[in-house]
Amino acid sequence: MGCSVTQKERSGIINPIFNCQPAGAQYAGIGVKDCIPLVHGGQGCSMFVRLLFAQHFKENFDIASSSLHEEAAVFGGIKRLEAGVDSLVKRYPDLRVIPIITTCSTETIGDDIEGAIRKLQRMLKRDHPGRVVHLVPVHTPSYTGSAVSGYNVAIQSMVTTIAKKGEANGKLNVFTGWVNPGDITELKHYLTEMGIDATVLLDIESFDSPMMPSKDSFTHGSTTVEDIEGTANATASIALSRYEGYSAAQYLEKTFEVPATLTPTPVGIRNTDIMLQQIQKITGKAIPESLVRERGVALDALADLAHMFFADKKVAIYGNPDLVIALAEFCREVELKPVLLLLGDENGGYVKDPRILNLQQNVDYDMEIVCNADLWELEKRIKSKEIELDLIMGHSKGRYIAIDAGIPMVRVGFPTFDRAGIYRIPVIGYKGAMWLGETIANTLFAQMEFKKDREWLLNTW
Amino acid sequence: MSEKAESLVTFIQERCLWQFVSRAPDREENIDGVLTLVGILLTGGAPKLQTPMDRLHFANANHLAMEIKSEFPWLTHLSKEELFAVVTGAIKRIHEITVKNSKNGELHQPLY
Amino acid sequence: MRTQRYDRGDKTMPMKLLDCDTVIPEREQHVYIKEAGEDTTQFLPVSNAATIPGTLSERGCAFCGAKLVIGGVLKDTIQMIHGPFGCSYDTWHTKRYPSDNDNFQLKYAWSTNVKEKNVVFGAEKLLKQSILEAFDAMPTIKRMFVYTTCSTALIGDDPKAVAKAVIAERPDVDIFVVECPGFAGVSQSKGHHVLNMGWIHEKVGQVEPKITSPYTINFIGDYNIQGDTDVLQRYWHKLGIQVLAHFTGNATYDECRGMHRAQLNVVNCARSAGYIANELKKKYGIPRLDIDSWGFSYMATGLRKVGDFFGIQDKVEELIEEEEDKWKPKLDWYKERLKGKKMAIWTGGPRLWHWTRAVEDDLGVQVVAMASKFGHQEDFEKVIARGREGTVYIDDGNELEFFEVIEMVKPDVIFTGPRVGELVKKLHIPYVNGHAYHNGPYMGFEGFVNLARDFYNAVNSPLWALAGQNIQEGVR
Repeated sequence: MGCSVTQKERSGIINPIFNCQPAGAQYAGIGVKDCIPLVHGGQGCSMFVRLLFAQHFKENFDIASSSLHEEAAVFGGIKRLEAGVDSLVKRYPDLRVIPIITTCSTETIGDDIEGAIRKLQRMLKRDHPGRVVHLVPVHTPSYTGSAVSGYNVAIQSMVTTIAKKGEANGKLNVFTGWVNPGDITELKHYLTEMGIDATVLLDIESFDSPMMPSKDSFTHGSTTVEDIEGTANATASIALSRYEGYSAAQYLEKTFEVPATLTPTPVGIRNTDIMLQQIQKITGKAIPESLVRERGVALDALADLAHMFFADKKVAIYGNPDLVIALAEFCREVELKPVLLLLGDENGGYVKDPRILNLQQNVDYDMEIVCNADLWELEKRIKSKEIELDLIMGHSKGRYIAIDAGIPMVRVGFPTFDRAGIYRIPVIGYKGAMWLGETIANTLFAQMEFKKDREWLLNTW
Repeated sequence: MSEKAESLVTFIQERCLWQFVSRAPDREENIDGVLTLVGILLTGGAPKLQTPMDRLHFANANHLAMEIKSEFPWLTHLSKEELFAVVTGAIKRIHEITVKNSKNGELHQPLY
Repeated sequence: MRTQRYDRGDKTMPMKLLDCDTVIPEREQHVYIKEAGEDTTQFLPVSNAATIPGTLSERGCAFCGAKLVIGGVLKDTIQMIHGPFGCSYDTWHTKRYPSDNDNFQLKYAWSTNVKEKNVVFGAEKLLKQSILEAFDAMPTIKRMFVYTTCSTALIGDDPKAVAKAVIAERPDVDIFVVECPGFAGVSQSKGHHVLNMGWIHEKVGQVEPKITSPYTINFIGDYNIQGDTDVLQRYWHKLGIQVLAHFTGNATYDECRGMHRAQLNVVNCARSAGYIANELKKKYGIPRLDIDSWGFSYMATGLRKVGDFFGIQDKVEELIEEEEDKWKPKLDWYKERLKGKKMAIWTGGPRLWHWTRAVEDDLGVQVVAMASKFGHQEDFEKVIARGREGTVYIDDGNELEFFEVIEMVKPDVIFTGPRVGELVKKLHIPYVNGHAYHNGPYMGFEGFVNLARDFYNAVNSPLWALAGQNIQEGVR
């Protein structure tokens, strides 16, 4: 009885839960305006990731490759890197940031990225006087960590390279972690309601980009060079994700004395409460009545669902670790029973995560948290009937597990390409909790009708 | 080469893939094999098909000959010798375009 | 009139340097605008050459060409990717090739999960461990492809030795190793080549197929995208032809080991699998018949050629008549409405030459611009021979070039990948998925009608007109 934390026992992987580090670094890079990440490695490292982003957002993002070819294995890849920066700078006159993202090939070869950057900056000064292009070294070999840590490394690298001491700007840095545009919208709503001047890192609300009559709207992030420079001069930082972006906040605290607060990922009512109260504490701005009402609306909606439809229903959750843990906490708020959490890399920090320790202390039914997991850990437990699930929550790459076993699945996290428009919807905040609850409910309802399992229950609910 | 014969070459170039296989010797074999058969078929002859490659050339030539007949009716008004001369000219020209003067550097690479 | 004129500046330089490429002038050798009277002995784009870094080229890597395009299609084979897990993750849920084996090939991605310590100390033990785990997890699967990736190639692992050791321990399994690190070659193409050559040299001939018909073929270069292979298989079945192996649509590992017994190799995708057809001719004397299995008229031509080879012309004509009766009226309905429409094709390479003449003859459509990711000069010889004058032919096109070419040729639709499609959507230009189709299959007679239907629905969507209206300017 109770919550146990285990490790996947196999060495190999069957169905990885996320992508490798360079993918996460690219996700951070595209959040910056006038920025084209340059992935230093084989062409697949960028091309596959561009496809992945296109699947999730239904948008094209500009990411370049140094197009490593065979001779680099012998002679090193620096010449390709230099040529890549040269092409980009010359052909994209508005370009201001190039994160140089390493991959397993170029890390194994041992290319000196920092040395190359120094040389390139001299070349820039000489050939493009007056033009400022920030070249950010991002060390993200794929044989360490995962997309989660890659995102973290990239944000920290960009802040390290670009943040600049200047006049205090009175702003709050918000490190959001790996979220969707819909989450940014919700976050900005809170900041506006509370009257807070904030720098959202990264502001990806604009990923949901329109077709305009002028035909001149293309997809890019909105965080500017000035935003990143200004992080050094903020009043404080708050990080909404332990594993995705907190390192940058810690860097700012250490280097520029910008105090950093880590708050539990704000998925669910309680986690959102904590975040808002933290923000109130840090900024001195009061939580307005409007947000209390929003909270009330969410609770009102969830109260209709919890003890009627959710209680005792068993859920498996997989995806990015902060999201998985926060979703588990939300589930417990509405009487769903998360029985299996899959955390997808070998980060030793999970066993020390206070939220996981909390689950271990308080869960009074059988729950397993598998670290270093892959999706075979989920599939094999279902196939062997070790667990019987009522719901799966996770990203679209696990869809066949749900489809083949006939288990209802709510798409959440990244990527969610097999459903329309999910990236536009928040899972954080009160609206997020409400959407999660209602989506879980509607998914269960559709299943009832499909299986003719007491579908008449919904006749009059 | 006369304009008419050149139009026959263009017709073949637009329609046929066998002249563009990867290796120069295979292209030459196909061009000779297929177009010789086309010549025979256009003059009402019966092709002798003994080997699998003969049958391949016939597969590539048979329908092509029918199309050529309908697209270039003037061919059927030529004598046997004149027709073979046109076909021989086409063979030479296609060899030139796809092998001899081709800018395709891979043609002579044994690995491809 | 098949000609359309654009300002090419100096007429003696039909290789075109686009404005966005003035700072990378070597691109001029890769862009060609065809004029009357020219042929490919005069002008042929440089192809299959090193990519210029940082151009936002559309190319992928060699590993992609081997695993995602060819190997991963097999319906009964574990795809063990030897490297960090990203390569595995990235080639999973990115294709639409079903099978009649419950789509096993779509559901799983395996990785040896190479970590930093393996990069330092070697990963052969890890590879062996992962292979055994994979077979143990799925006891009914006995076949495996192992792919090397950038890191495992660099650290000098010997995966073939590991595979050999496993086969010795477990004689009921077989393993094929493909050495295709991402940095090999210049694009996906290298992966095609390595896989083809490895397969013919190491595996073909190891299994004797059971011959059930006097007419046997291999169908080479078709990967069952949205059921293409099933469409073609129905034809072969009707004609009484036994397909020993599809390479590799809806195929099994062992079927592909029996390719040596076919009387004829019918080749559709000459780019990705022409190599194995060449080698089968060299080693076993099997003739290579190139056809186009896309295209309404082309399909009939291809079937007639097969019929001529085997001497079963009557059966073929019967099949063609049946198919044309069923599908030609629908095709013509679309042709009536698509006549004169302008199409761009930005795909891997072969579909350029498969489709350009087919859409012209069968649908009255003009192809005005084409770009190939990884085509070789052979592909350009074919497409330029078949393509229109005034059309822009591009090798290894990049994003800024796409924008410029769109301005030049103003296509009504672009057949390309979903990401590029989402880019051109901002310009109110519809795309149809040229790789994995919108609503396919696209091969065969019915397939071309499907292609026409998607084309028609794409260009006739009311959404484009709505997108062009600025509501601030009042009601129209």
